[in-house]
Amino acid sequence: MTTTEVIADRIAQFLKERTRISWEPDADIFDSGVVSSLFATELVVFLEEAFDIEIGGRDLRLDNFRTVTLMTGLVQRLREAGDE
Amino acid sequence: MTATGPTGLDELIAFAGDMIGDEADAWDRAGTIPDDVVRKFAAQGVLCAQVPARYGGLGLTSADNGELTAFVGSRCSSLRSLMTSQGMAAWTIQRLGDKPQRTAHLPRLAGGEVAAVAFSEPGAGSDLSAMATTIEPDGDSVVVTGEKVWITAACYADLLVVFGRYGSQAAAVVVPASAPGVTVERVPEPLGCRAAGHAFVRLDGVRVPAADVLGGGQSTALLVTAALAYGRISVAWGCAGILRSCLASVSGHARRREQFGKPLAEHQLVARHVAELLAAERIATRMCAHASQCWDMRSPEMVSATVLAKYVSSRHAVAGAAAAVQVLASAGARNSHPVARAYRDAKLMEIIEGSTEICELMLAEHALGAFA
Repeated sequence: MTTTEVIADRIAQFLKERTRISWEPDADIFDSGVVSSLFATELVVFLEEAFDIEIGGRDLRLDNFRTVTLMTGLVQRLREAGDE
Repeated sequence: MTATGPTGLDELIAFAGDMIGDEADAWDRAGTIPDDVVRKFAAQGVLCAQVPARYGGLGLTSADNGELTAFVGSRCSSLRSLMTSQGMAAWTIQRLGDKPQRTAHLPRLAGGEVAAVAFSEPGAGSDLSAMATTIEPDGDSVVVTGEKVWITAACYADLLVVFGRYGSQAAAVVVPASAPGVTVERVPEPLGCRAAGHAFVRLDGVRVPAADVLGGGQSTALLVTAALAYGRISVAWGCAGILRSCLASVSGHARRREQFGKPLAEHQLVARHVAELLAAERIATRMCAHASQCWDMRSPEMVSATVLAKYVSSRHAVAGAAAAVQVLASAGARNSHPVARAYRDAKLMEIIEGSTEICELMLAEHALGAFA
């Protein structure tokens, strides 16, 4: 698997553990009504801890967490920024 | 700045104990904590003890800060409320701010300035998405306009972290309390935490640098949930402290006071109150300790564990304080007596940082997601 796939896989796995639903990469988890703002905050903490990144300031937008693909992109961008 | 002051948990508790002494009853009656006491707590970094050392803070773990919060809460819920507000302001800056903003503001909070967080408005209590305060960009500045109510610690504050509308979304902004257009008016005679400096805050076209907008462009729900997390765990630990104070008062009184020829403790109906208070204190402490462990381990469960700890601790504090007044009876019925304060203060803890009912909605939603 590529790095992108590994990240996406780990995120999808966490979502499945917590929601009992398998999410398509581009499915909007917040539009579904299945998850709450409490869960959104949980997701932030999960991503920070699982991928050793810090999500602060303007990155803390709900739009960054809507889909597996968007979260994967955020993780990759912050990891690259951290490597600089 | 803290090199010469207390740093470890035991030292910090001893410092807080010395500073509070037997004054909490008098502060409650006066409706204010002497300014030099508030300043000394702020200068030692005790009001936001979880701020990392790299930003000039004491860098306590959530677990240690929790025990410190419970200790202060066992003596004086008003002062503990200042810790909750200041800690929440610091957490908001840490959580929503970028690195330059953290570097600019956190050392001020850890080193002597007092801060409050302004969420509630006349039309926005539990439903913070109804906030009407606006943060409008204007060149290098933003202009903040709105009305905030029941802002804990605002009477003491140098800085206000104000939440409001920012375009179609939400943001927080750091506003100096001395800025032109800021009016702070004390809430007269609050039910509880009477010396916590609750105030109505009006912001009339207050101009601050755009660089002091924290985050920006987020949904209100995500922004507020992130910021409130600290307030909730702080209130939860404070309630564990209220229960410790009640347990101590009740145990002492039940041993000493005699009726019908024997100590109250030997009357079984009183003994039940003692047992229930002990259980309540232990339950609250364990819930808080678990939530803090989740914070310290950076576990995603920290979010739900924090709501659960706040919910459980505040409800037990309300019931425990009522039982304590019942056992002490006339001895505890003097206004500002520790159990009388506990009775009034605990009730407010079921209302702030997410009422019992809002916590129930969040917990039900969490359970339905996690255990369906």
